[in-house]
Amino acid sequence: MTEVIAQSLVQPDVGLIFWKSIAFLIFLFLLYRYGWGPITEAMESREEEIESSIQRAEEALAEAKEIQSENKKARREAEREAQRILREARESAEELREEEMAKTRDRIQQMQEQAQAEIEREKQAALQELRDEVADLAIEAASKVVQDDLDGERQRKLVNDFIDDLPKN
Amino acid sequence: MSSLAVGCRLRVAVLVLALLGAGAAGGGSTAHAADDGELTLDSIVNNVIVGHAEDGNYLNFDPFATVELPRIMVARTADGALTVDLYGSTKGLLKDGTYGLVPHSEGEGGHEEIITESSALQEAFASKGHLHGDVVRTSGHVVADLSITRHLIFGLLAMGIVLAIFLVLAQRYKRGVGRTEAPHGVLQNMMEVMVVFIRDEVAKPNIQGEKWRTFLPYLLSAFFFILMANILGLVPYAGAATSNIAVTGVLAVMTFVIGLLYGSKDHYKHMFLGPPDAPWPIRVILVPIELIGTVMRHLALAIRLFANMMGGSLIIFSLIGLVFIMNVLFGEAMAFGTSIISIGFTVFILLLKLLVAFIQAYVFTILSALFIGISVEEHEHEEHADDAHAEAPTSQTSGALSDRLDAVDDAVDDVTEPAPA
Repeated sequence: MTEVIAQSLVQPDVGLIFWKSIAFLIFLFLLYRYGWGPITEAMESREEEIESSIQRAEEALAEAKEIQSENKKARREAEREAQRILREARESAEELREEEMAKTRDRIQQMQEQAQAEIEREKQAALQELRDEVADLAIEAASKVVQDDLDGERQRKLVNDFIDDLPKN
Repeated sequence: MSSLAVGCRLRVAVLVLALLGAGAAGGGSTAHAADDGELTLDSIVNNVIVGHAEDGNYLNFDPFATVELPRIMVARTADGALTVDLYGSTKGLLKDGTYGLVPHSEGEGGHEEIITESSALQEAFASKGHLHGDVVRTSGHVVADLSITRHLIFGLLAMGIVLAIFLVLAQRYKRGVGRTEAPHGVLQNMMEVMVVFIRDEVAKPNIQGEKWRTFLPYLLSAFFFILMANILGLVPYAGAATSNIAVTGVLAVMTFVIGLLYGSKDHYKHMFLGPPDAPWPIRVILVPIELIGTVMRHLALAIRLFANMMGGSLIIFSLIGLVFIMNVLFGEAMAFGTSIISIGFTVFILLLKLLVAFIQAYVFTILSALFIGISVEEHEHEEHADDAHAEAPTSQTSGALSDRLDAVDDAVDDVTEPAPA
């Protein structure tokens, strides 16, 4: 008897097979139609979205990095440009200054020369005047000494000769 | 410390006895109180151990109630007409008079009369013998017994739970929770983990290319049904539908049919003509082996799941039954001592069964995926072997597939033989 009942454990039951097949097919259909579709679809779309978001973020990051490096490059260039301009400005300023200085020096030189010439001329004039004065004085003195010995013209010549013989300075 | 532990174990023992053993005790004692007034080893084995593991036309809520399930019989009457007899319960079926109860034959005697008279039936009803015996039609014969059984009810219950969970979750996903925002709540997260696991670890690696999309719904349905049915097997008063060979057989046949319907030309060629590069005498030997192997694979699929679940419940009922056996053999004191050990083991086996519930659901699903994958696989032909490789990096060559099959089989046998029986 024991064996008879135990046998029922391993004997497939027709009714159960029948109902089970129907039930499982309905179960499968319901889940297929209303369950797994939305679930797996939603999960997949979410995964895709996450993936695309990550990709977008990576792309944005790469772009940002590129922009940053571009910016850096541009800034460096700008800096270099600024430096160049500054240097040029400095150079031109230096040039200008030098030019100005040269001009000034020239002017000073010129003025000096002019002044010197003036002085020379003045000196010459003064000397001439002095010479004339001295000659006159000498003549007057001599005439007083040697009255009537010499006419005025001859005495003047003598004195002049004497003065010329004097050292120039 | 140790006395405390013993006390704890006693309390657990009493609790689990109340949950698990109550039905067994009630069923066992009442059934035989009417028969011979005492417990016998036979009655314990039949009623406590096998009676609880086997299928039946009733739901056993002993000691509260026993709910009889509808009987549906497709029968051929004496004059040869096909009829469908529909009754609300086995009692109703027997009372109607068209059917009689086959008596338990004590000896190997001659043909005994089937029980139809009401006094004998009342006696059978009182001892619940009518639920364990066979019924036959008094005139004509039963073509098919399509009665609702407890394993069907548990199966339907498991399906109902799975449907309820996933139809509700599907609505959630449709609303956008989990699609555009993060999944919310324990249930959704827990289920999603398993769904993703089945998709990424079971379907995708075993089924070539993009074909897994076709079979994912089946694999998911099978997985969750088996898992839920297995877990129901741990619930007191319920049982595992998967511990019935008919249920696992239907599932395995579905896997088989899917493999046959979606089988690739290459697969059929390989199955009926043998490997193309083998000489013909070898092919003659290989074709039957291949055919038998294909059928056996699916048969083993059914038996593996069934045997594991049945084994687990048989162990539990045997451990509980041991208490009563000890009672019969050595008396009450010995039975009490045994109950402590029995209950300890029962708790251990229950925990093991919880593990096995998941493992077996996983094993069935991955083997189904593997078999379907073998069927639908298209072999790479020489001329475009390279692009096939390029577009399907996850797919395996046929050699690798059968290697994996062997490996999975080995792993399965190693992991899932908890039954020392």
